[in-house]
Amino acid sequence: MDTRVTKLLGIEYPIIQGGMAWVAEHNLAAAVSNAGGFGLIGAASAPAEVVRDEIRKAKELTDKPFGVNIMLLSPHADEVARVVAEEGVKAVTTGAGNPEKYMELWKNAGIKVIPVVASVALARRMERYGADAVVAEGMESGGHIGSQTTMTLVPQVADAVDIPVIAAGGIGDGRGFAAAMMLGAEAVQMGTRFVVASESIVHGNYKERVIKAKDIDSEVTGMSTGHPVRSLRNKMTREYIKLEQSGASFEELEYLTLGSLRNAVMEGDVVNGTVMAGQIAGLVKKEQTCREMIEEIMHEAEVLLKIQ
Amino acid sequence: MFEKMKDIIAEQLNCEKETITLETNFKDDLGADSLDLFELVMALEDEYSVEIPSEDLENLTTVKAVMDYLKNKGVEE
Repeated sequence: MDTRVTKLLGIEYPIIQGGMAWVAEHNLAAAVSNAGGFGLIGAASAPAEVVRDEIRKAKELTDKPFGVNIMLLSPHADEVARVVAEEGVKAVTTGAGNPEKYMELWKNAGIKVIPVVASVALARRMERYGADAVVAEGMESGGHIGSQTTMTLVPQVADAVDIPVIAAGGIGDGRGFAAAMMLGAEAVQMGTRFVVASESIVHGNYKERVIKAKDIDSEVTGMSTGHPVRSLRNKMTREYIKLEQSGASFEELEYLTLGSLRNAVMEGDVVNGTVMAGQIAGLVKKEQTCREMIEEIMHEAEVLLKIQ
Repeated sequence: MFEKMKDIIAEQLNCEKETITLETNFKDDLGADSLDLFELVMALEDEYSVEIPSEDLENLTTVKAVMDYLKNKGVEE
């Protein structure tokens, strides 16, 4: 299936894997790219040399294009931005802010720039400052979220900009993919479905928690701090919300979640850890390879969109 | 310029025009978050045909700061 995004990124299928902290490392990114999608390494708050190492390892596993997601609030963002330009990847997606100041550096290195946006104004601004595409991410997503839904945000962003729009948040199968195309997107970004991929290195407990999740298991914490995070409810989210309701300080709340995503992903602590996942977790029912997932989604979508 | 500025701010941030003074702070007085500020700055770029790079945004906290900034960029009204 050809769209402006498949051409921009040199990929077969317009499916991008989200740049999830701790989860989106070189094995997963390479597997998604090898399957014809676009894999991302999530730089999150990792030091620049760790990101460099991840890029090099991914290159050993695939000769297909892949990218890096840079979390702009990271204390290492400046160095990571430079390392990415030095190592050379096909594209960079950015989250948690405005990547304007790196635009020239990446453009000069021939890297496509795709900011994740949560509003129309930000999408217009990114287009004005040279972005090649934008990811319009609704609050159905896992992890840090905005306040608009994919259903409402994607068509508004698609109307406001001329560059291609990638829909994210709440997409987990061919129906979601087809719906996103109907809303004006030219690709989708998925995170939660890929969390349980065979190639994903997340702890078995985490995968099992996502696979067993029901529709109503999704919880948002941190609304009061202005930094809402979506995850699957457990002991940690219940304690967090209790503290939040009792008016705990930002510091107290932060302390509760310190290292908690890492503990869930790497150690399998799904009780006290943060099991980040999107609202679509309830739809994710089994572990499959990235190739099986992507081919299944494309097949379902092509039937729905009636294309050959 | 102040009048026009008040119109833009009132429209973008959904607040009452009469409450806006030179000292009004977008964040503290009007409860604007970062997405609101992008809304405002995009409207200002459109209205005055200027570019306001992101590194300048953090200094533009009050109405007066924005007006001084625009004047420095050669905006007269």
